[in-house]
Amino acid sequence: MSTVTVRNVSKAFGDNVVLKEFNQTFADHEFITLLGPSGCGKTTMLRMIAGFEKPSSGEILIGDKVVSSDKVFLPPEKRDIGMVFQSYAVWPHMTVFENVAYPLRIKKMKREQADRDVERALEIVHLSQYRDRIPSQLSGGQQQRVALARALVAKPTLLLLDEPLSNLDAKLRESMRFEIKEIQKALGITVVYVTHDQTEAMAMSDRIILINRGVVQQVASPEEIYNRPVNQFVADFLGKVDFLRAEIRDGRAYLDGTGQSIPFSGDKMGRVELAVRPERISLSTESGDLSGTLESQYYLGDVNDCRVLVGEKRIRVVAPPESFARMKPGQQVYLTFREELAFDDDGSLDEKLKIVT
Amino acid sequence: MQENLTKRSSRDRRAERRCKLTLLAALALGAALIAGGLWGLEQFQASGFDQESGFAHVHDLAGPIDGLYEAGIKPLLSSLGAAQREVLDGKVNALLVSDWTENTGEDQTARVERTLSAYEGERRSRMQMELLSVSYAVSGPKVSTAQKKALAALDDGRRAALRAGLLAAIIDETAPLPAETAAGLEGLSGSERKAMLMQLFFTSVNSKNQPLPTAQINELKKSVRDGQARLSAFTWAAEGSVSWLRQVLVSGSRTAILAGILLAIDVALLTLLLYMDHHWEINFKWLAILAIIDFMLVFQVLPMAYLMIKAFFPEGSFTFEVFRRLYTYSMNLGAIRNTLIASTVTMVLGTLLAFPLAWLVGRTNMYGKKFFRFLFVLTYMVPPYVGAMAWLRLLNPNVGNINQVLRVLFALGDGPGPLNIYSLGGMIWVLTTFYYPYAFITISRAMEKMDPSLEEASRISGASPMMTVLKVTLPMMTPSLIAGALLVFVCAASCYGIPSIIGAPGKVHTVTTRIIEYNSLGGQGISDATGLAVFLMVIAIVILYVSDFVVAKRQYITVSGKSTRPNIVDLGRWRVPLTALVSLFAVLVILIPFATILFTSFKVDVGKLVMAPGNFTTRQWQTIFSRSETMECLKNSLIYSVIAATVGIVVACTMSYLLQRTRIKGRKLPDFLITLGSGTPSVVIALGLIMTMRGNFGVNIYNTAYIIIVAYLVKYLMMGMRTVVSAMSQIHVSLEESSQVSGASWTQTMFRITGPLIFPSIAAGWFLIFIPCFYELSMTTLLYSNSTKTIGYQLYEYWTYTSQPQACAMAFGILMIIVGLNFVLNKLTKGEFSI
Repeated sequence: MSTVTVRNVSKAFGDNVVLKEFNQTFADHEFITLLGPSGCGKTTMLRMIAGFEKPSSGEILIGDKVVSSDKVFLPPEKRDIGMVFQSYAVWPHMTVFENVAYPLRIKKMKREQADRDVERALEIVHLSQYRDRIPSQLSGGQQQRVALARALVAKPTLLLLDEPLSNLDAKLRESMRFEIKEIQKALGITVVYVTHDQTEAMAMSDRIILINRGVVQQVASPEEIYNRPVNQFVADFLGKVDFLRAEIRDGRAYLDGTGQSIPFSGDKMGRVELAVRPERISLSTESGDLSGTLESQYYLGDVNDCRVLVGEKRIRVVAPPESFARMKPGQQVYLTFREELAFDDDGSLDEKLKIVT
Repeated sequence: MQENLTKRSSRDRRAERRCKLTLLAALALGAALIAGGLWGLEQFQASGFDQESGFAHVHDLAGPIDGLYEAGIKPLLSSLGAAQREVLDGKVNALLVSDWTENTGEDQTARVERTLSAYEGERRSRMQMELLSVSYAVSGPKVSTAQKKALAALDDGRRAALRAGLLAAIIDETAPLPAETAAGLEGLSGSERKAMLMQLFFTSVNSKNQPLPTAQINELKKSVRDGQARLSAFTWAAEGSVSWLRQVLVSGSRTAILAGILLAIDVALLTLLLYMDHHWEINFKWLAILAIIDFMLVFQVLPMAYLMIKAFFPEGSFTFEVFRRLYTYSMNLGAIRNTLIASTVTMVLGTLLAFPLAWLVGRTNMYGKKFFRFLFVLTYMVPPYVGAMAWLRLLNPNVGNINQVLRVLFALGDGPGPLNIYSLGGMIWVLTTFYYPYAFITISRAMEKMDPSLEEASRISGASPMMTVLKVTLPMMTPSLIAGALLVFVCAASCYGIPSIIGAPGKVHTVTTRIIEYNSLGGQGISDATGLAVFLMVIAIVILYVSDFVVAKRQYITVSGKSTRPNIVDLGRWRVPLTALVSLFAVLVILIPFATILFTSFKVDVGKLVMAPGNFTTRQWQTIFSRSETMECLKNSLIYSVIAATVGIVVACTMSYLLQRTRIKGRKLPDFLITLGSGTPSVVIALGLIMTMRGNFGVNIYNTAYIIIVAYLVKYLMMGMRTVVSAMSQIHVSLEESSQVSGASWTQTMFRITGPLIFPSIAAGWFLIFIPCFYELSMTTLLYSNSTKTIGYQLYEYWTYTSQPQACAMAFGILMIIVGLNFVLNKLTKGEFSI
């Protein structure tokens, strides 16, 4: 049973506050992702759970045990967790087997039992045939799997992963994503995963915690965070989005800089910012709510990625691939927003989207 | 929210309070030590001792005296009745008075009374007895050997009975004497008899007939000859058992003051750094930092500061007199001129040689690159004086082999010349051939680290390989070039081995040879040596500042974690000619000198060819291996350099941990001091240590092995430190963190992960300290004593006073040891490192 409870944790380095009042409970067997741009404080949070950093204030519990508070501080080696680092951190002077066996050797586990456990861990990550290699003879993906096996071998109930896939190439990253997810399901462990890659977060997580500038923006499932972002930053960070300033009047939204309007059925009034995702816009050569000019189109195989000028505004639209052959840049097209999100326009959009590193 | 963060937790507040209390306590202890030391110093000066060592022996005696009283005297005294005690006290007192009078030739009744007046009752009689025992141990009535033998044969029970009998005889003159002692007392009467009885009493305390340890008693006799001081010594020794604190403070007054001042400096420094850190917690990291700082303060900063002060305040008041005298004396001016010219020309020549060599070896497809690299770096490990000796044999104006060849080639007749090694030019030539590897190593390291894409970008922009070298490689190398050049300059300016062997016979003086000469004169010569040393010190500090803080800031080369393989320039049709040129250079500069040393070591007459009839001998080699003195020196060198290298590498590992793995504010300070130490010319370090380490500042290691080891550490610690630090910087922290998260403690992580990973560098760092210490000459020349001669100094002595072929045999032996060690290192680190 491994829940993680983080209460009012803040962290400052000198005068630089990197994490403010973090409050969350991660449930047993849950796959939690800490997502955010680099420098947002997500890695700091993970390292505080691991015990590599001391919180400036607040407390952290793993299970029922307080591991960090005003009075208590348990060093990493006493916390019984597994962790995988971005840089693999596979020890170059040991073989694959020795690397994976290390946590058990430290625990002084009986050799036979330990050897069995190591074999099993290597099987889980499909590395059994490489057990006697030294890390420099392995590819990046294999090294990453060694790190994973090492993190799992002592059967921790909590596994911390710090951008484990960011050094791998695209194809490998995708397959590792599934492997990690499968292993998590099979072993039933709690995983805290740090990444800046939104696709990774969407694909793996039960819940995503999106952080920016040390402040938690939204905590939700992938589906909810994508479809119902609580603010412009969340909408912008996950997926593609165009922001359009508009005035809501009489059930219609009058879009600034376009001279056109669209029907609007939400409950907002007055000045708003509409966020539209390119794949939620229908593009037609015949009719629609807005008319504009096709500026450019790129054939990407699964979609046709278009830019449409509506008045002064450039709107990105993801159209079906077949549309590529039917259209030419410069021709008139019509757009219909199938779905849009409206946020109150307080003039702070640019400030909100700014990423401070 | 901000307030919440700045409000510290109760844990931190408690730690802060504890930390501040500790600091205060340390400060108080420091103040107490200083005050106690000052008080002790005053007492010490009032005691009439003129040698501090006397006090050390007095201090050593306090324990045995105490033991003697407790075990041998007290039980007997307690068996006496009050009346008997009174009589005994009176007699012992009388003995004291008479003994002391004999020794000073004046009436001492009042003095004895004054000494004893501070004690009463039991403690008074104890004091009397102890005073008398130490007095008699130093110069009591002489017990005959026969008597001693008789006493030694007794068992413990009989011995106790004997002592009781003796005591009774002292108290009551009519009492019968124990049978065993009667023979020794014949013909004695009155106070002489009593004194003899007393001496027998003390002698019979144990079976060795030595109530007090002979060694310390002898030392005490030697160090306090004067009667007045001697009485003080007895008093102090006897009082030792009463007040050891007083004893410690007096005998170690200067050490106590030094410790107190160090403690105060530590506290001040720590307070400042903790204040800057906003984190009031003392842990072992701080203690490590402070320990290293303290070491450097005592053995480096103090001597240097003392030299500076002494140069301006030779008699205690400020004067330029020493400087005026030194720097107007034509011989010194000549020495300074020579030093500046030689160092500058060596710097220019060395760098001009090193850059093309580094480029050819590092970045082109020249043949035999690895071999040449090994050869050039090998020179780095050769003691400078060995090169000087070789070139002396080659370029001697009369019998130098090269001169002989040249005379034949150009039909110059039989006169001396054409080349003369005993000149400024000759010295520059040898300095260059010895010091260019310093620039070579600095430059080729930077060259190998350079990102190849920078040069590729130049090629793609249309530049030829040559153009690329001139427009991209060379400008990017400028900082390393300057750093390498300055290193050559400092080394050449502070070199002693080469000028002493080449310059001295040719009357070409340099600052270092002048310093050593002045120093050997003693007296005023020492302050003159100091004045000249300041010159070298200023040069070194200025250059150190320039190269570490000005040039380093302009360093363009960023070391990436990835190992980049520098791209190789194809030399095309120049490949063979350039290889030939470099080979010629290697033959001229390395092969011929080393061969000369080897051949000379087999010669009878150095002027003839080794193969000339009857000129070949292995006598020299037999001699050096069979001479016990040489072997003794070799042993000393090995021991000192092993100790220096081992202590040094421990410090180096600590420092690299502090520098690479902590964010503690003060970690740069010991780093700075260590760098400063390595930049200081050897003779300056040695001179400073001589002046300050003879007990006048609380540390007395003069004429011991310690002073040599300390000098080695100050000078060569940095070599090891840099190696370990750079290895540590390449170990990613996550390698250690993943061990910790696997459940390993800090110690386990250090021993199982970090240690094995940086082991090659630790081994290399150890050798980098060991090798220069092993053949060291400049510092040893000033610091050796008869029992602490090293192999380097022995070689120098042979060369100058005994036999050049023998010296050559030793030089070649040293060379073989160093090359052998390098081979071991290479094997030990699986080829990753050789120097």
